[in-house]
Amino acid sequence: MAAVEFRHIDKSFGAVAALRDVTFAVTDGEAHAIVGENGAGKSTLLKILAGSLRPDRGELSLDGSPVALTGPRDALARGIGLVHQEMLAFPNLTVAANIFAGREITGRFGRLREADMRARAADLLARLHLPVSPDAPVDRLPVAYRQLLQVARALAFDCRILALDEPTTSLTAGETDHLFRILENLKRDGVTLIYVSHRLPEVFQVCDRITALRDGGYVATFRRDTATTDDVVQAMVGRVLETRATVPRAITPEPLLHVEGLTRAPCFEDISLSIAGGEIVALFGLVGSGRTEVLETLVGIAPPTHGTMTVGGRPYACRSPRDAARAGVALVPEDRQREGLFFNLSLRHNLVLPSAEARRQLLVRRAERETSAALLRDWRIRAPSIDAMPDSLSGGNQQKVVLAKWLALRPRVLLLDEPTKGVDVGAKYEIHAVVRELASNGAACLMVSSDLPEVLVLADRILVMREGRIRGEIAAAAADEESVMRLAATAPGEAA
Amino acid sequence: MKKLWEVRELSTVAILALEIAFFTWYLWPEGGRSHPFLNTANGLLILKYSSIYGIAAVGAAIVIISGGVDLSPGAVIALSGVVAGELFVEGHWSLAASALAGLLAGFACGILSAILVVGVRLPPFIATLGVMGIARGAAFIITKGRYFDVSGALPPGWRLLGIPLDWTSPILMIVLALIFQWLMTGFQWGRAVFAVGGNETAALFSGVSVARVQASVYTIAAVLAAMSGIALAVVQGQGKADLAMGYELDIIASAVVGGASLAGGRGSVAGAVLGTLIFGVLRNALPQIPGATFYDRLIVGLVVIVIVVMDQLLLRRRK
Repeated sequence: MAAVEFRHIDKSFGAVAALRDVTFAVTDGEAHAIVGENGAGKSTLLKILAGSLRPDRGELSLDGSPVALTGPRDALARGIGLVHQEMLAFPNLTVAANIFAGREITGRFGRLREADMRARAADLLARLHLPVSPDAPVDRLPVAYRQLLQVARALAFDCRILALDEPTTSLTAGETDHLFRILENLKRDGVTLIYVSHRLPEVFQVCDRITALRDGGYVATFRRDTATTDDVVQAMVGRVLETRATVPRAITPEPLLHVEGLTRAPCFEDISLSIAGGEIVALFGLVGSGRTEVLETLVGIAPPTHGTMTVGGRPYACRSPRDAARAGVALVPEDRQREGLFFNLSLRHNLVLPSAEARRQLLVRRAERETSAALLRDWRIRAPSIDAMPDSLSGGNQQKVVLAKWLALRPRVLLLDEPTKGVDVGAKYEIHAVVRELASNGAACLMVSSDLPEVLVLADRILVMREGRIRGEIAAAAADEESVMRLAATAPGEAA
Repeated sequence: MKKLWEVRELSTVAILALEIAFFTWYLWPEGGRSHPFLNTANGLLILKYSSIYGIAAVGAAIVIISGGVDLSPGAVIALSGVVAGELFVEGHWSLAASALAGLLAGFACGILSAILVVGVRLPPFIATLGVMGIARGAAFIITKGRYFDVSGALPPGWRLLGIPLDWTSPILMIVLALIFQWLMTGFQWGRAVFAVGGNETAALFSGVSVARVQASVYTIAAVLAAMSGIALAVVQGQGKADLAMGYELDIIASAVVGGASLAGGRGSVAGAVLGTLIFGVLRNALPQIPGATFYDRLIVGLVVIVIVVMDQLLLRRRK
């Protein structure tokens, strides 16, 4: 019996097709994994299951009968619970209030029955072995507990189907084990689990069957006992892997960016690095190792407590990204929606803003139309015109806009934070090509990425960070996933 | 280039034209008497009264586009008018010096808002609510209940640069609207205001000096409100502390009706000024309809809602 069945599901966001004709079924009581690369459509599929998105075409059936979910409340009422990747808790409320948010136990005239909810919450917390009080405010809880709180919330509504979206991204090895024990117990109680992840070891540990998605389409479903990791990887990637560029780049003898003993308590300490013009250096580390914070300090978002920086041999002190840009240092931030793009402005305005600001330009120049058109053309950004709005572009092209808007300035030092996060494979290769081209033109590139294959394929050298310090340096030609991960992770369980 | 029908200001012009056409038709006089609404004197009257809102709305629109809000213009109008009036009528200062002192009072209010928003990082709503209280309070302390009749103290038939007094404030409004419309579209500063309003974090990461942009918009808005206060004192002769009560909300409403989004990043100076004319015509024409006087505020409220809802619907359809 199929607990959940997806039939010919299509879903697009503007010009981007997130899901294309996805059809597969999840058997009642099994733990079913959905795997795929970034942008494969995993999260979109879960959101459709949880009722927060509606498919453009196709249908979803539960226990064999088609349903059209009207919203997350409807999904919850039908026994579908979703544990989000992001923390959707109300940090200002208590644990009990979070568990029952939106579905409070009420008496007559809607009066809240606090005591009932508190008792019920205490039961659920005990079942999940969570040593917290129902009255504790959520913002005092560790991150891992907040995620488990979402599980508690799903259980409070007697969910038969529990979907988890990348639940271990921000958990430590110990916390991950705790979560897995809870999932085992739930499975024994007959709950159907849908587990989305790109961490294959976890998937093989938890799930009975594994469905692979690629670029929004269904590829195959494997049984844990008959498939190997390689089979699944092949299905996820489905292409020849990108190889390292073999064309050598001219590297300047003197470092362009030199950092000595840079410290910003409590995020990172004693960071020293040198990058020559023409070099691409990766700063690799797990989430929370202080990588992004280093880049932010390099462009003056937060000042260092100690340390010296030089750019092109001259002392470099900056108090804002504006100062940094004027010194020729540009940051392509991690979150293009929040930190990169202006959705109220056309591509033309987006593209010329940083250079105009850095040059302290007074007037809007006529030439900006040609400048921005040239940027779209040179960096192969697929957009209807320079007057199009950013939200009409696919994620990959949006990311290229965020990159291109700095290129008019010809930065000497280019800092890239997760440059290909959430973009499709084709755009990823194109962005890699852009970065290589910039390096060939003499820029010093420092890249932060959690995407190990990307790091290995793009970087000349890899600096590995853990707990705010650089723990080692590896020449990329001699590195493999294992050697880098060994340096980056304290416990083997944290390796992705 | 933008298509003609994508220019948001055109729909505001259309609403204004429709409104004027409606009142022209509705108030059409019987038997060849002169039209009570559609005549030059009444048109000038509308412009004269609207310009007080309009001059301040230029600043309000800029603040709203930057993603903020300014609640102080009504109080700043009163304060600057009172300062200029006190110095001119009682202090016997020259008109230019009194007006300059009034502008400086507005400038001080703007600097205070800027410090509270940029330096102390108060939410703009709270910061300018405080400044509103301070400015209004200062106006009461200065006047202690007195009243300054500035135009009464002017020589009869006095003209500013050869312009009849009644025409000065509408001309000032139009000139300021044109200048700031140009600053907002043709200058990098205006671009930065739109960028900060659209996405403050991205603006910071793109090398925009967010602090400088925010400080500039609150200062400019307060100085513009002060100009409108002086216009009120000189042109309409009024200088008292309880003047322009509640104007801030009408001014914000005008900017919103003219296409500004309180979420920031969207709007125009010209639209805001046209918005004040829409309300100016309403305020002028409604009392001429027998029995409609009491409906005046109600209709103003409905107009705001209807126009903004229409705007939202159009915006959604375009997407």
